[in-house]
Amino acid sequence: MLDARNIHHGYGAETVFESVSLSVTPGEVVAIIGPSGVGKSTLLRLLALFDSPNRGTIEYGDTDVWDVSEQRRLEFRRRIGMVFQEASLFDASVRRNAEYGLRVRQPWTDRLRHEVASLVGRTNGTGAEIEALETVGLGEKVEQDVSSLSGGEAQRVAFARALAYDPEILLLDEPTSDLDPRNTALIEDAVLEARDRDIGVVVATHDMHQAERIADRVAVFLENDIIEVGRTEDVFDDPDDERTRKFIDGELIY
Amino acid sequence: MPLELATVSPLFAEFPFEWNYIRSIVRVSLYVSLVAVALSTLFSLPIALLIGFKEFRGKTLLTSIINTGMGFPSVVVGLIVLFAVSGQGPLGSLDLVFTPEAMILSQFVLATPVITGVSLAAVSSVEQNVRDAAYAMGGTRFDVALVTIKEARYGIATALLAGFGRAISEVGSVLIVGGNIAGADGESYTRTLTTAIQLEARQGRFETAMILGAILVVLVLLVNAIVVRLGSGNGGYR
Repeated sequence: MLDARNIHHGYGAETVFESVSLSVTPGEVVAIIGPSGVGKSTLLRLLALFDSPNRGTIEYGDTDVWDVSEQRRLEFRRRIGMVFQEASLFDASVRRNAEYGLRVRQPWTDRLRHEVASLVGRTNGTGAEIEALETVGLGEKVEQDVSSLSGGEAQRVAFARALAYDPEILLLDEPTSDLDPRNTALIEDAVLEARDRDIGVVVATHDMHQAERIADRVAVFLENDIIEVGRTEDVFDDPDDERTRKFIDGELIY
Repeated sequence: MPLELATVSPLFAEFPFEWNYIRSIVRVSLYVSLVAVALSTLFSLPIALLIGFKEFRGKTLLTSIINTGMGFPSVVVGLIVLFAVSGQGPLGSLDLVFTPEAMILSQFVLATPVITGVSLAAVSSVEQNVRDAAYAMGGTRFDVALVTIKEARYGIATALLAGFGRAISEVGSVLIVGGNIAGADGESYTRTLTTAIQLEARQGRFETAMILGAILVVLVLLVNAIVVRLGSGNGGYR
């Protein structure tokens, strides 16, 4: 559904990657594994349509997303959710954070009415944000301020925030690298639940065990390129590329 | 008013007149400064957001020019605005000399660097990843700007406060472009708290000057309290 084809990207004279291709379809989890700093985040930002790649195309369905109007691109962007390594929450209540994606999709008159209503007193949400918060086990903390949350809870709110508007694609950039095992497990469960709801998930991680646990396919990102993509067990048990084997065995140190 | 009081203190005898006078001065002061700050905010916030978001050549230079503008002498601003609205100036046709609107213009010029500069600092401190999150969730650039304003609301409240403080307490420019005019009926036309204090003190009417001074201080405190309350509460965010 979301296809990056031969994309090249860099900043100024510096090349981040030469020619990378990656695709994700509904109801599958694709893990991008590789050491820090190889360009996994840059790739995810391109998939989230933050920037256009210097060369190559990104297609949603069969449409080149950088070959359409900004309004049309916004529609594509709104089918994609993203969670960053840091929770990056807004300084507001848990509910306000979780409903943000739903609010920006509403017409201005509704948003304005909601803002005015929230000045006078509490307002009721649409329900989707509560459901998303329950998915990550935060149904009890809806009315709390995010400043009172632990790091793990904050990251789960960030996850719920991306899930609330029911995206078709979910991009996760090292979503659990700062988390303890329990919160990691909760996020991983939520990822699998998203897959069961037919969401296509791309997760960048340097945790190979995580990739093994949740991914259907794995893309190995080494030396500024995706050197191998395949079914998770194939890549881990019988890699085609010698560098993949060395990286998985921990012999390659970057 | 009882006769005895009037004989005890000549000040009390004048009070009915004085209060109307003082009330009209407060009204002019508030009108001029609030409108100036409101207009300046509409002008300054988008500029602060633009400078805060974009990377461009000369950004540091522009920022230091704005910061220098915060301390710009108000009499000089008054002089420039007076020239601008005078007969041979570019705004001469509007006939604004010695009007409250001319004072609004000069206070706008004075408050704008303060509001822009302090807002810019506040906006710049909003983390990139929070703005990215708003964009990633399907926000437009306008939504991202709104999120930034909400995240920076304490800093922006401080900016408005500082701008209001600068506007309502300055004497130089309003004296030059407004002319400190009050009618024969004791109603202020372009007389503000500051210019009135200056005049009353010079004429030796210290009681009136003191009352005006106290009102000015209370006003500034009051506006402070309101803005701090708005900024620290969950105003508009819940």
